[in-house]
Amino acid sequence: MAKAEHSVLGTSIARQGGVERVTGAGIYGIDLDLPNAVRGGILRSQHAHAKIVSIDTSQAKALPGVYAVVTAADAPDVKYGRTTIDRYMLAKNKVRYMGDPVAAVAAESQAVVKQALKKIKVVYEPLPVVLDPEETMKASAPTLHEEVPLPANLPKDANVKNVCSYTGVHAGDPEKAMAEADVVVEEVYETKMIHPQYLEPRIAAARQEPDGRITLWANAQAPFGVRTDVARLLKVPLNKVRVLSTELGGGFGGKASGITSGAAIEPICALLAVKARRPVMIVLDKAEETISTTIRSGAKMYIKTGVKKDGTIVARTGKVVYDAGAYSGFGAMAGARCTQMLGGWYLTPNVHIDGYVVYTNKQVCGPVRGPGGPQAAFAVESHMDSIAAKLGIDPVEFRLKNVPKSGDRIVGVPKLRDISLGETVRIAAEKIGWGKTKLGKNQGIGIATGSWIESSGPGGGAMVKVNEDGSATVHIGKIDMGTAPRFGIPMIVAEELGIPVNDVMVVNVDTDASPWDAGTVGSRSIIVSGTATRLAAIDARNQIFKLAASQLEASPDDLEIKDKQIRVKGTPAKSVPLATVATAAHNVIGEVVGHGYCDSKLMAAEEKAHGNSPPFTAHACIVEVDPDTGNVKILKYVAVHDVGFVIHPVAVEGQVEGAAAMSIGQALCEQVVFDTNGRTMNPSFVDYLMPTINMMPRIETTLVHGYPGAGPYGAKGAGEIGCVPPMAAIANAICNATGVRIRTLPLSPENVLRALRAAKR
Amino acid sequence: MTLTINVTVNGKSVSADAEPSTSLLEFLRDVLNYKGTKLCCNTGECGACTVLFNGKPVNSCVVPAADAVGAQVVTVEGLADGEKLHPVQQAFIDTGAVQCGYCTPGFIISVKALLDRTKRPTPAEIEEAVSGNICRCTGYAKIVDAIALAAERMEGSTLGIASGGRS
Ligand code: FES
Ligand code: FES
Repeated sequence: MAKAEHSVLGTSIARQGGVERVTGAGIYGIDLDLPNAVRGGILRSQHAHAKIVSIDTSQAKALPGVYAVVTAADAPDVKYGRTTIDRYMLAKNKVRYMGDPVAAVAAESQAVVKQALKKIKVVYEPLPVVLDPEETMKASAPTLHEEVPLPANLPKDANVKNVCSYTGVHAGDPEKAMAEADVVVEEVYETKMIHPQYLEPRIAAARQEPDGRITLWANAQAPFGVRTDVARLLKVPLNKVRVLSTELGGGFGGKASGITSGAAIEPICALLAVKARRPVMIVLDKAEETISTTIRSGAKMYIKTGVKKDGTIVARTGKVVYDAGAYSGFGAMAGARCTQMLGGWYLTPNVHIDGYVVYTNKQVCGPVRGPGGPQAAFAVESHMDSIAAKLGIDPVEFRLKNVPKSGDRIVGVPKLRDISLGETVRIAAEKIGWGKTKLGKNQGIGIATGSWIESSGPGGGAMVKVNEDGSATVHIGKIDMGTAPRFGIPMIVAEELGIPVNDVMVVNVDTDASPWDAGTVGSRSIIVSGTATRLAAIDARNQIFKLAASQLEASPDDLEIKDKQIRVKGTPAKSVPLATVATAAHNVIGEVVGHGYCDSKLMAAEEKAHGNSPPFTAHACIVEVDPDTGNVKILKYVAVHDVGFVIHPVAVEGQVEGAAAMSIGQALCEQVVFDTNGRTMNPSFVDYLMPTINMMPRIETTLVHGYPGAGPYGAKGAGEIGCVPPMAAIANAICNATGVRIRTLPLSPENVLRALRAAKR
Repeated sequence: MTLTINVTVNGKSVSADAEPSTSLLEFLRDVLNYKGTKLCCNTGECGACTVLFNGKPVNSCVVPAADAVGAQVVTVEGLADGEKLHPVQQAFIDTGAVQCGYCTPGFIISVKALLDRTKRPTPAEIEEAVSGNICRCTGYAKIVDAIALAAERMEGSTLGIASGGRS
């Protein structure tokens, strides 16, 4: 139901673009049918770490139907990378993971592409392979990036190598506080690599235009980042590269190659198109994706907490070893977030955490749904239960005892206001029947909380064009993958312009026409594009009022707009249709174009002055553990979320439920498995297990109201935070059922059984 | 060597040539240009490519096109009646079960097959019918709502399954 003060906000309108999706329209990247396009394919390294001695492409080039064969030698000698410049588009001199692109082919058909790839002869000189980041940090390990210096901010006594970035989190005097604590609990947790496994394969298609410009189509979450990479790697100006985003069949951060500069197929495709003098389209095979594209990294987390007898947390220390993979990718950012979040989101006055992001011979870390957060939360929230157990305090009570208050600071947030953490815990406990539900044999109950910082990051703009029939065309820099651009964004325009939501069209990103944007990541669509769109719509409305004022013989301040009519407030008889005003604009300013921005500096200043209200969540579940097979069945699952003002309830629920499902998958079955040579053992869906409907409980979602965030109308991001608590909630329930604390994911039947047996011994 | 494949797709009989190695999915998408059936795993594990094959749902990526000779194939493009969506399609929209939408055609076909054979499916039957379809976006809650709503509308009765979520 719409709140009284809003006409459309707060309702669950039908998603825009829904009809195309249910009727099977060819809207996705993979459906692209570019005239005269040939196929492209990539030769990937068969070694996880090796020197490239030579590459011979002559036989491949001689194959009939081959249009181009490229290696690093065919591209400008330029490297790229988001935080560390450490990667070539095609490997040069060295390969660093099995799947590293070495060469690429354009040919008349996929079959010829395959043949040609086989005919490229690469001579490798294998080097020692390191897969475990802790091993890689040791002095004895091989050096993975000879040219990358160690981070300048490393602690003096660190004595490490292959570290790609370092984050230190410090507050108070943890050493002293730890010494004074009544109880100290110390544990080690570990999560494994998972793949985002969006269903639509990644594609790229490129064409060089007659004027030399390059047009690129991609199912990309960060089209502007792709443009930056392509321009840089092909050494062409930005205005000679145009990136058009197709519709996306899922992404979850995995399709954000422009942000990670990792596993980027787009620059390779562009190079092929230039060399082949034909449009080229690359479609990745799903198994190829699992081994080569960006992933959620595994993390090893050392965590130690000092508490008073009454349950007050006094100190937290720890260390994070975060796997960047073969290149920096998004590792520095994800690892930093993991490090911050290991400090927890409870009141903890004394903190010291070292976070090392480390190169290994594995595929590259991407900004996968809540990068770094779910890993940290698995450790933090399992650890909270371990502490509660040691203290003999109820886990819910222990959490509530340490909820921060307005004005307090937690790691990453200097000043809090409107803190929903306690309420989410209380509601989750109530909904799951905490302390009331009678548990059956082998059943256990668990709770875990989470937070996510989504209010800081790059800004972005929006443009609202009002057409002469009163409809609106909206340009933003973010793409739709079942997210805000075709749910909340059109509602915001409808609300502010007084037009039906179906009269609002949000167009997909075209880097030539859309405002720049950092990419559809970080739960920031509603914060960035929502804020900008709201201001752009208000700007358009003000222009309309100015144009209508003389016609209505009223001051612009006295006008209002509703149902596509501009009216004098209090005198509804005096009105003029929006279409009339928009048409009349042709003879005055041409067209009403409203502009708006999400100004991140302004937002930061605002939060500094008034405090930040991060989203919080609590998930709780009841599980049953089969003591003979180790199988875990989730019997009930509740997810309680504060996402600030809720613009589209069903969309938010959908985000929460999908995110929870992804982490339930990581908790119970998902994992990319490697052999000792760095080869992925489970590349295809046959062996990479993901949640199907059979293993999923019905997620019961509750949205908490009354904690306004930094977004438009007080909204907060909702896309990632649902990934944060599930792993610990399930591990805690398993521990409650069996008395066994499992500290390494996944909680697969095999691992659970092993842990149960080990505990018996 | 190419094969000539005569098949009925969405009620229209068509004939086209294909390599013997061509899957029904490739034949539909690349030869006949029915892009509604989606490609994902290509190994029969995800259900994105589900079509009705003589009335039964199959993963078209693992069915050789040659096997389709003389068969009746229905794809997601064949469900709507002009502008009017099939009740299953409409229910997916109305319940918010379409996020990225990439799994949607496969689910819709599996659900149509279910409701064609069972007017009032039990929750267990619903689960069974779509257990071969992976959705990575929704966590399945809204999809279950969509199926219940579609069944309800097609049957004109209530199944007693929550079709909540709408405000
Ligand atoms: S594409 Fe056919 S089952 Fe996955
Ligand atoms: S809606 Fe995206 S995979 Fe199901």
